[in-house]
Amino acid sequence: MFGEKALELIKELKRCGDGLLPSFNEETVRQVLEEMKSLFEENHKDVTASSEGEQGLFPGVQLRHAALERNKRILLTYLNERATSIAELRWQMGTVLPPDIRSRLAEHELSWLQKYNKSLTAYMRAVGADITHNLKPPKSLLIEVRCTTEHGSIELTSGRTLHLSRGTHHFLERSECEPLIARGIVEEI
Amino acid sequence: MEDEEDNIFSGSDDEEAMTAGEVLQKLEEAWMNEALSPELLMNKSDIIDCMMEQINEMENNIQRVKTNDLKIYIHKMELERIRYLLTSYLRIRIKKIEKYATAIMMEDGKRDPDDAKLTDSELQFAREREKNLLELFQNLVLQHMPPNMQSLEKDKICSKPNLDEYVFFRVNQDVEGVLVEEETVDNREEVIDLKKGEQHIMRYKIIRPLAETGAVSLI
Amino acid sequence: MDSAEIEFFAENEEVTIVPNFSKDKLFLIRGDVGPFNASMPVTVPVWLAVSLRQQQRCRIIPPPWMDVEKLTEKKEEETSTDIFTQMPCEYYMEVAQLLLNCASDDIPYAHKIRTLIKDIWDARMSKLRSSIQTFLTSDATHAKVERITI
Repeated sequence: MFGEKALELIKELKRCGDGLLPSFNEETVRQVLEEMKSLFEENHKDVTASSEGEQGLFPGVQLRHAALERNKRILLTYLNERATSIAELRWQMGTVLPPDIRSRLAEHELSWLQKYNKSLTAYMRAVGADITHNLKPPKSLLIEVRCTTEHGSIELTSGRTLHLSRGTHHFLERSECEPLIARGIVEEI
Repeated sequence: MEDEEDNIFSGSDDEEAMTAGEVLQKLEEAWMNEALSPELLMNKSDIIDCMMEQINEMENNIQRVKTNDLKIYIHKMELERIRYLLTSYLRIRIKKIEKYATAIMMEDGKRDPDDAKLTDSELQFAREREKNLLELFQNLVLQHMPPNMQSLEKDKICSKPNLDEYVFFRVNQDVEGVLVEEETVDNREEVIDLKKGEQHIMRYKIIRPLAETGAVSLI
Repeated sequence: MDSAEIEFFAENEEVTIVPNFSKDKLFLIRGDVGPFNASMPVTVPVWLAVSLRQQQRCRIIPPPWMDVEKLTEKKEEETSTDIFTQMPCEYYMEVAQLLLNCASDDIPYAHKIRTLIKDIWDARMSKLRSSIQTFLTSDATHAKVERITI
């Protein structure tokens, strides 16, 4: 059946679901292109024969032409869907993709990603805001921590005195609690 | 010191027609409409530019103050919130532009340049997006196809927003004679009036012009 | 809109707090807040109230509608009719959650209020689901949806 190979490509993308990009299926893409080539050649032959007077070839030509269109549409959908996922990876992981993901992209997809990065950067520079950050609405700048030791009083940069005894809960600014977390005095909840 | 700080933060431009708070409210409305509308809405670059200026100014003021007291902390929190709103708004638009670049540019092409939906930098992004995608198609598959298959009819293959989507909205000002259903063989024409304060659900395309003018807000 | 986004907008609602510090008026971009005088009630956006409460710099006065008696009545009203009743606050669910999560000590019968709010929300959600279902399976092209909340 014509178009079966092409359909495999789409099924493969669907199977992998959101965010998980399968490797570029070069082999199947090549086979679909092969199929298109032979469909085209058969049509060419039939059209030539028709013009020389042979009857009844027209339905076959039409069928093959429809198959060609369908294959083309599916290949473009495959590339478009992948480009969308690749762009999504850029948003999730930044400009540097881990090697195992990079290896799933075709050479041309990698250069597409590069161009995508470039135009996104140009846009962000023009508007003066990094839109790949602040992805979630801000919650309080404070972080809730639990004190794990009897530490006693400390003075915060804001001038507030805090009494740290084991098991007590506190809300602290990130910059203030990070050193305390590092020293094992408090832990983030 | 206390006095000096007050001056820094009270420095609002009195000659502005809108207060910063009002601009912020407009930004929130714009965010809500953009987030809930299936298509890209008209850009609000005046609001964005104005807000961007406001927060940059505030940020500079804060950086000049050495103490880290409660007051600064509260200003920082507000800045974080506004920064999120701004970037999120721009992001929602960029994601729509990525999806519908070709359709949006064709639509903008039919408008007066002054009424374009895209800002200059968005247009630049949309153009590159389209060009890069076509190049990808070309390099990976199109050039290997039979000669009669290599061309692309952009307007036929590009994805378009679904204007038939149902949306909830609130009416901000009375609108009379909204055509919700055109006359067909099976149906008679259906026209309704929208009254301020009411909430409705209907297909986006019916209220499309009203969402753009602000007569209704998507909710 | 996802729940974090809805919560973000809910945080713009106003609530009254009693600060335990004094501070001059703040000229925020959104508008002025304060002045803050220790023990004097003052109205602030929810995001600020939550943050001050976390730092133990204020006590929150629950909005009038966050009251067991009023919410019990509201629940009765909501469950006894097929239409949506008027809610006291566009973001009642989120505001209640935000305040209850950071200041349950400030809110009398916090646990009961939490349950009542959830019951009201459930009742409204099931109405919404069934009315949307009816709407979509009917031939209607539009519907008026009074008093629904985000």
